[in-house]
Amino acid sequence: MVTPDLSVAIGSVRLKNPVLTASGTFGYGLEFLPFLDLAQLGGLVTKGLSPRPRKGNPPERIVETPAGMLNAIGLQNVGIDVFLAEKLPALRGHDTVVVANVFGETEAEYVEVCEKLDEAAGVAAIELNVSCPNTEAGGMVFGNDAASLARITRACRRATRLPLWVKLSPNVTDIREIAKAAEAEGADAVSLVNTFVGMAIDVEKRRPVLANVSGGLSGPAIRPLAVWMTWQVRRAVTIPIVGMGGIMTARDAMEFILAGATAVQVGTANFVNPRAAVDVAEGLTAWLKEHNVASVRELVGALASPPTASGCP
Amino acid sequence: MASPMVQDFTTPVLRNVDLGRGNWLLEFEAASAAAEMRPAQFFMIGVPGSDVLLRRPFSVCGLPGTFSDGRAGAVQILYRVYGRGTKLLASLGPGAPLHILGPLGHGFTSPQDKNTKIVFVAGGIGCAPFPAFLAELEREGRRATMIYGARSADELPLLDWFRERCDAVVVTTNDGSLGASGLVTGPLEQMLRGAGGEQLHLYVCGPTPMLKAVAKMALATGIACDLALEAPMACGFGVCLGCVVPTHAQPDGPVTFERVCVEGPVMRAERMAW
Repeated sequence: MVTPDLSVAIGSVRLKNPVLTASGTFGYGLEFLPFLDLAQLGGLVTKGLSPRPRKGNPPERIVETPAGMLNAIGLQNVGIDVFLAEKLPALRGHDTVVVANVFGETEAEYVEVCEKLDEAAGVAAIELNVSCPNTEAGGMVFGNDAASLARITRACRRATRLPLWVKLSPNVTDIREIAKAAEAEGADAVSLVNTFVGMAIDVEKRRPVLANVSGGLSGPAIRPLAVWMTWQVRRAVTIPIVGMGGIMTARDAMEFILAGATAVQVGTANFVNPRAAVDVAEGLTAWLKEHNVASVRELVGALASPPTASGCP
Repeated sequence: MASPMVQDFTTPVLRNVDLGRGNWLLEFEAASAAAEMRPAQFFMIGVPGSDVLLRRPFSVCGLPGTFSDGRAGAVQILYRVYGRGTKLLASLGPGAPLHILGPLGHGFTSPQDKNTKIVFVAGGIGCAPFPAFLAELEREGRRATMIYGARSADELPLLDWFRERCDAVVVTTNDGSLGASGLVTGPLEQMLRGAGGEQLHLYVCGPTPMLKAVAKMALATGIACDLALEAPMACGFGVCLGCVVPTHAQPDGPVTFERVCVEGPVMRAERMAW
């Protein structure tokens, strides 16, 4: 058969394939040039960008946990001005979609970064980080409840004409309510999920492993939780979903797509295998060929009913 | 950014030698990755298909030519079984695949002045980067002195190897089971006092408290001091930001967090903001 069509659209943003790299796991993209051609990606999402450079949290910042890792980086980043002056120009030469992840400690800071990005050539969309669990101010504070999330989304919606994706925290009572608030305030898509708050303890030293005490859990350990939330949100909103959480292979990506994600992001896997996102995209092509599916778009949300609907033995 | 020569490859274990007392020497082929590699640069090493998620960083111990029994194009990693990752490594036999990324980071550079006395200060498994460095110095016709400390005599791998090749190896153990009882800082202090007008350059690798203590002494006496740092890291090529240490990236500037994997693992003592 002909090569399957992997292209998808998240609102007005066209992606050549549905595999992006997740914020915080792919630097500013340029770090991966020794390993892959950025044009092979559906797109990349930058490290969270704040109005001014942030030095982040003190070490220890990471620890491996069963099938995953905890991180408490604290959004160390070069700041929006350095990104626009140094990183973005270098990215423009590559045929890929750049999504800028935006972080602030206050509403005004989110707005400031969105306004600066609005004038920048080469940014396809903004992803609002209202779900970072590792900072004292900002981040998850804005994504914890529907009212706060609605306020910040509204403010950023006014600040930019760029497509707006809102990245949701899983550390909430009902993620569907948060997703609905994002949709109601004009978000073009929701991306989910950010990391789950967790903690690891050094038993010998009787202290938390991470200097920040808690960190965000990512990796295969969270995949079933993230797939479940994707499926829940799919039935709550009509805007596109960008799904993520422990995707290591094309089969993992397929779970999110079948649950209702139009595109996916590969995160922690980039640390283990710098080519992971490309491998996932190539694996999707192979899967579609093998199953004689012409376009990945046919599979979005194409989940059949469970084997026994009335079920418990 | 990762250096352009960095390679991501799968290669089989050639040898995995039990040196006893929990210390192991792992050998694998890394022909082209090893060609440009500096002592104290490192590899990220993983085991495909295992349930250990992240690769682990290991300083290169032997480069081609370092060990007389090393195979052509092969490199060696010295490790101590400590956690899940190293336990898994120790279970591997010849032929088992390794998932390797490297060479990574900045390594040791020998002093310009040929009259400078080179001193290695190693703590236990922190001796790992010194064989490759010593072999390189020997090729330049230079020598080194070593102060080698550990908690006990059990934790001094490759001691005989160093004794055969260094001008002198001063051993210290915390429990007094070999050499002088105490820490490396004892003999180091004597050496610094007895140096007279001689130029010294310290190269240091070991646990962080040792690095801090040695760095402090070097700064107090104005002696050049390069530290080979270690930190938990997820990626090894600069993107996870997990391995940072507090530094003064600019002298007298504010405290910054720099990455052990990219800006290090070798950093000058005066750069640290401990």
